Amino acid sequence: MENYSHQIDSAAQTLVNPTEAHAISSHGAVHEAHELPNWISIFTSHFPDHPASDFLHRWENVIFSLTIALFISGVGIIAARKKNRVPQGIQNLCEAVVEGLETFVTGILGEAGRKHVPFLGTIFLYILFMNWFGLFPFMKSPTAAWSTTLALALTTMVYVQLTGMMGQGFTQVKLPFFKRRFLFPAYLIHLMGNPKGIFGIMVIPLMLVLNIILEFGAVPFSLSLRLFANISSEDRLLLNFAELALSSKFLAFPFQIFANLLALIFSLVQAFVFMLLSTVYIALVLPHDEHHEHEEIVSGHAH
Amino acid sequence: MEFFAKNIIPGEVLVQLIAFLIVFFSLKAFAWKPLQASLASRREKIRSDLQEIEEAKREIERLRQEYGEHLQKIEDEARAKLQQAVHEGREIARQIQDKAREESQAAFAKAKENLDLEVAKARITLRREIGDLALRVSEKVIRERLDANREQDKVLEILDQLENTL
Repeated sequence: MENYSHQIDSAAQTLVNPTEAHAISSHGAVHEAHELPNWISIFTSHFPDHPASDFLHRWENVIFSLTIALFISGVGIIAARKKNRVPQGIQNLCEAVVEGLETFVTGILGEAGRKHVPFLGTIFLYILFMNWFGLFPFMKSPTAAWSTTLALALTTMVYVQLTGMMGQGFTQVKLPFFKRRFLFPAYLIHLMGNPKGIFGIMVIPLMLVLNIILEFGAVPFSLSLRLFANISSEDRLLLNFAELALSSKFLAFPFQIFANLLALIFSLVQAFVFMLLSTVYIALVLPHDEHHEHEEIVSGHAH
Repeated sequence: MEFFAKNIIPGEVLVQLIAFLIVFFSLKAFAWKPLQASLASRREKIRSDLQEIEEAKREIERLRQEYGEHLQKIEDEARAKLQQAVHEGREIARQIQDKAREESQAAFAKAKENLDLEVAKARITLRREIGDLALRVSEKVIRERLDANREQDKVLEILDQLENTL
């Protein structure tokens, strides 16, 4: 009897808030609804025994990512193939986007940043469209999964570090007790926290560990977690408002529209923030003409 | 830790990473580079066009100035020529006047000379005629001796009259 009433309770809960109920009833189950249903989740829930179901469910995010990747690549390549002096249509649109991104990036990195525009621009557009994709019916934002954002953040981290390694070159360093100067990679000096004087040299191991944890761990962690958390909560918001609209006989429909608008704006903001932070990280590892400073830094109190 | 394990799926991360790299490199090669290049070339073209326009403007200004100077020069020349012509005309007029005056003077002098000559001739003729007349008068006087004394006053009067007329 008790068991029965529990079942009713659970059914009622499902009606009001199916997500939570689902989460509670199927604890540890494969599927857990955090966002609006997409075509893959619908397919897998309707044909759980279909041979493709398992594959589709497993690679859900990747499939949506690839869809967007194909879309962006297609548009970009088509636009780039037209080389009219007077741009029109898609070419005009893409050139406007490229121009805008270029202006933004060069505004932060200076003229040297022009070669980083492809990476940052791709990041921005890719994330933007992945974020927005969740607003389409039967589609999903791949960025609502941490795996996706972590992949992007790791790529960014590697890109930033490679830029730092290759862009900073070598710097002359005068070590204590040595008369001649040594060539050190500026990148390493940067990781050692630009040591100043004997105290700076003493804390090198600490700074090294700290910087490595920071630049190789914290940066991708914070980048990916921020994007993932924002977009997944945004998707939950969309789901909850949709449910609210359904359960209130569309009385809450204006709120759902409002949530959609909000999601539209937040998606843009999140994509922008990701790009902005990547740009700033690149700016931090680019050489700032302080090679001369390094020379005196280490030799400072040695004499 | 459970949260991490649930949300981060290594395989998916790897595949997403590869997918992104493919997107990035293909876009970089086939979209970003050409688009950036075309933007840069257009920027360069606009800049050079503007520069050319600026140069053309300067050239036009220079030509206009040159043309103005040329026009001014032509006007000056025309004025100078006109003045020269006027001057020449006056000169010619004066020459003509001078010549006319000279000729008229020459003619006057010649006429006067002729006149003098005529006068002299007339005087000679007159003298001869006076002589003749005197001879004839004296002949008459001698012939009419008898009443000569009576007529003497008359003869003298006639002679006086003749002298006065000359």
